Formats: sequence, C-alpha cells, structure tokens
Amino acid sequence: MTDTSDSQDAVTIERTFDAPVDLIWQMWTEPQHFAAWYGPDGATIPVAKMDVRVGGTRLISMRVQTPNGAMQMWFVGEYREVVDNKRLVYTESMSDEKGNMLSPADMGMPPGHPATTEVRVELEDVGGRTKMVMTHVGIPADSSGGAGWAMAFDKLAARVSAHTNT
Amino acid sequence: MTMTLDEDRLDETFAALANSTRRAILGRLADGAATVNELAEPFAMTLPAISKHIKVLERAGLVVRGQRAQYRPCALDGARLEEVSTWAEQYRPVWEARFDRMADYLTQLQPQQKTRRTR
Repeated sequence: MTDTSDSQDAVTIERTFDAPVDLIWQMWTEPQHFAAWYGPDGATIPVAKMDVRVGGTRLISMRVQTPNGAMQMWFVGEYREVVDNKRLVYTESMSDEKGNMLSPADMGMPPGHPATTEVRVELEDVGGRTKMVMTHVGIPADSSGGAGWAMAFDKLAARVSAHTNT
Repeated sequence: MTMTLDEDRLDETFAALANSTRRAILGRLADGAATVNELAEPFAMTLPAISKHIKVLERAGLVVRGQRAQYRPCALDGARLEEVSTWAEQYRPVWEARFDRMADYLTQLQPQQKTRRTR
C-alpha cells in the first residue's frame, strides 16, 4: 500500500463492488449519492456540500436520533487529492454549521481522538467491477492539549494492561 | 444488529471516560483495587457523588465491584479500556456498515447490473 508511513492509528477497509468505477466515484463525490449510504442506520444527511477539487471545502451534517431527541452534528473538511475515478483524499473535523472546527474533547469525543482525520479512497477497475480501498487515518494534533490528552490516555491504558496481566 | 449494540456500548464507554473525576478514579484503580471510601478521599466530593461516578464506570464496563463483604472493592476491568484505546478501531464497524449500505444502494441503482454481470 502507498500510505504506510503513518505511525498514526488508522483503519483500512477493502471492498469490491459490483459497479463500474465511475459510479463508485459518484458515491463519494455527489451529495445525493453520498447521503444515501453514509449516515448510520437511523441517521440522515440533511446537508452535504462538496466542492470536489483540491483545496475545495466539504461540509457534511449528520442528523442522528438519540434517546434525548434528534442530534445534529457537522463535519468540515478539505479535499487534498482529487483524481477522478481513482483517488480521493479529504480531511474531516467536527465543526459547527458554519464549518468552524470544534475540538473533539468539547464534543465529548473519545480521549485521544485526533482533531482532524483524513479519509483516503482509492478505486481500481477490475473488469467492470470496482475495488475500493478506504483508509481513515488520524492527523497528529498540532495542539499540545490534544496530544497531552492522548498521551495521558495511552499511559493509563498501558498501566491497566500491566496491572491486569499480573 | 450487533453493530448497533457495539456502537451503543462504545458510546457508553466514551461517555464514561469524558469526565475528569472518572478518569482520575480509573487512574487510582490502575494502582490496585480500592473501596469507595478510599476512592473518595482525594476528591472534595460526597460519597454519594463518588458512588454515582463509580456506577457510571461500572455500567460502561470499565470497573467491576467485588462481591465480598459490604466494602465491595472496586477494580479496573481493563478489557474494555484496551478495546477503546484506539480511536480508529471504533470506526471500523461504522465504515463496514456504511459500505454494506453502499452495496445495497448500488443494487437499487442498477438492478439490471446484477443479472448482466453474473456469469
């Protein structure tokens, strides 16, 4: 794989879809298609603004039903690589509805959650079908606060495993 | 669906961790089991308030309470903490479910595709 330099935590998923590569590209780049699959069950994507070009902005809103009523979350990001039908890279951060970034800790996100993550999608035509490799990777926090948080948590996890292994 | 269960469970765990008092309690328990009284000592908090925090940690699967005597000492349950210690892994089930939906959606979009491409 091309993106192995990251020591950062990442998740990579590979899938092959029975659809042509340009249709899979549209799944990621056209709001109405994106909204159809992206939200978790019971969630909707009321807003998906996608300026799909390098440096272009994306703003996604996800509306989730919780026991305490509907909750609306916003995610802002920027396209970093756009190679039609081949490779798409964009960043993602939690934000308000205007696209102002919010800190993950303020949003009650897990400790150690990076403020900005990057989603990389690589598509390959395999005889009319499409092989897709998606990597979701954390971008090291530039705020020392965020890093401190993550370190404290790692330390705690290490102490816990040391403790439970004895 | 198991994915929903996992998600709920993770939500609960992360909600439990999103509190400095509870993280301090976990830090103390990393040194060994302790009673509620011992755990309360460093905090300017009432016992019921501390007990409430411990209950949250217990429900989240991060702390287990002993059964012996009325002290019921608290101890860390490390398995859950390790499970959630990488943010990326908690996204895996989310993405897997998304791509399941993408596959379903693609089938709706191109119903004839299936038969045409099946050999």
